[in-house]
Amino acid sequence: MTEKDYSTTDDQTLVRAAQKGDMTAFEELVARHRDKIYARAYSMVRNEEEAIDLSQEAWVKGWQRLAQFQGESGFGTWMTRIVINLCLDHLRKQKRQRSESIDAMDEESGGVERQMPVVTVNPTAGLERGELRQRIDRALGQLSHEHRTVLVLHEFEEMEYKEIARTMGCSIGTVMSRLFYARRKLAALLVDLKKDDLGMT
Amino acid sequence: MIDYDSQLKIQAYLDGELPEAEAQQVAKRLAQDQDAVLLLSELRNTRQAMVNGQAPMALPETREFFWSKIEREIGRQESPQPAPRRNSMLAAWRRMLVPAGAVAAVGLVCMLSLVSSPGPRMETALADSGAFTYRDYNSGATLVWLSYPAENEFADSEPAGTVQ
Amino acid sequence: MRDHLLSVRLLSWLLPTLFVLGSGFSQARAADMKLEVQLLWGTNDKQSPDPKHRPVDDDVHKKLKELPLKWSNYFLVNNKQFDVSANGTAKVPLSEKCSIEVKNLGHSTVEVSLFGKGEKVVGRTQALPKGEILVLGGNAPNATAWLVILKRLE
Repeated sequence: MTEKDYSTTDDQTLVRAAQKGDMTAFEELVARHRDKIYARAYSMVRNEEEAIDLSQEAWVKGWQRLAQFQGESGFGTWMTRIVINLCLDHLRKQKRQRSESIDAMDEESGGVERQMPVVTVNPTAGLERGELRQRIDRALGQLSHEHRTVLVLHEFEEMEYKEIARTMGCSIGTVMSRLFYARRKLAALLVDLKKDDLGMT
Repeated sequence: MIDYDSQLKIQAYLDGELPEAEAQQVAKRLAQDQDAVLLLSELRNTRQAMVNGQAPMALPETREFFWSKIEREIGRQESPQPAPRRNSMLAAWRRMLVPAGAVAAVGLVCMLSLVSSPGPRMETALADSGAFTYRDYNSGATLVWLSYPAENEFADSEPAGTVQ
Repeated sequence: MRDHLLSVRLLSWLLPTLFVLGSGFSQARAADMKLEVQLLWGTNDKQSPDPKHRPVDDDVHKKLKELPLKWSNYFLVNNKQFDVSANGTAKVPLSEKCSIEVKNLGHSTVEVSLFGKGEKVVGRTQALPKGEILVLGGNAPNATAWLVILKRLE
């Protein structure tokens, strides 16, 4: 039996075929979007093995829920939402098992980000893209998962406050204060990384 | 010193989340308050750094291997009742191991052995959803065949890859 | 009287002999194992492109021929001999990314685990008498195969 070649087929057609049970079409969709889904999972959980497992789980769920996808967003965006929710569930389970991070305690006890001096110099100005990505990655790794999540959802996924609140299961006020803390903390971390670079620490 | 609520409003202004009336109030403040301007500038720089600093990442598994796990899990979840052992082992056998010309002969021998021999000369079983087992008592050999994709960490040891 | 002495002598010979045999037997039940693991490449090509590879030994080739495998030639990529003490475990690397772990459960039974990139790929528990082989295998690119052979030497 000759396998169909779907490499030049558009996503919409692939989705329709997959919704009718065509696994080859679904496999092509996986191949096209797997890196993006993995990257999103990794940005949230910061662990390669967990990100691979969560991506895999997302794809299985995607197959099971295909009938619900009506094309209201791009297929990649729809899949991203699935993996985000899986990551959040995963992080919540982990949180129950681990103690709170200092960041999270800071934020909940309130106040530190309100008093942090404003970073007046742009700490990433002049950086090459690769270097910037490395710094952002390092800085994100130092945030608590709640703060990292709110940044990822707002800056990378371009979600509005309301949508972030719904996704994270918290109030809009909490989203705003977490985002504020995360941004201020990130700015401070980026300054520290710049100082490291210049041998100032 | 800007109060906390105002700090959050400056952030919401940056993010386009404020209703029109409140956005105008913040704009008015920004025209007069240097601290507010500096805060907005910091928040904007951080946001821009995030947007520009998103690193593309490649999933560190081959297409075939990653898909094989998904396919297996979909199959497992859609078929909770295991297929009858005899049918599934013959089907797996034909598909994976033996050239088409020998399939019927080998399959027949196996079926006859399972049905008629006083003690098992050969034995086949599905060890788990990803492995297929065959035992030949005469030669003293047991085969466990994994339905792995062709690109895998074991195949990396083969001539095309690094060899120890 | 003579019969009684003969019986005593017989018993005096028999009992220690039985004791020695018995203790030897119980030792054999919980004996160390000497094993060999081979990583093979299965192909229909007559030669391996890697000059370091040599064809697999005749005895293994003969056993592989009895199995429902479609390849005509098998080449040795790597092999190691090792001992596993009674109730002990040995882990042996096969390549950069793969290893095999063998646990000696006694009664000639082994629990075998194959690891790829640190993850367990397959497990198998079975008797492995001397001279027998356990073959774990899967597909490799270009319609070839990789095989891990576990052979009991002693």
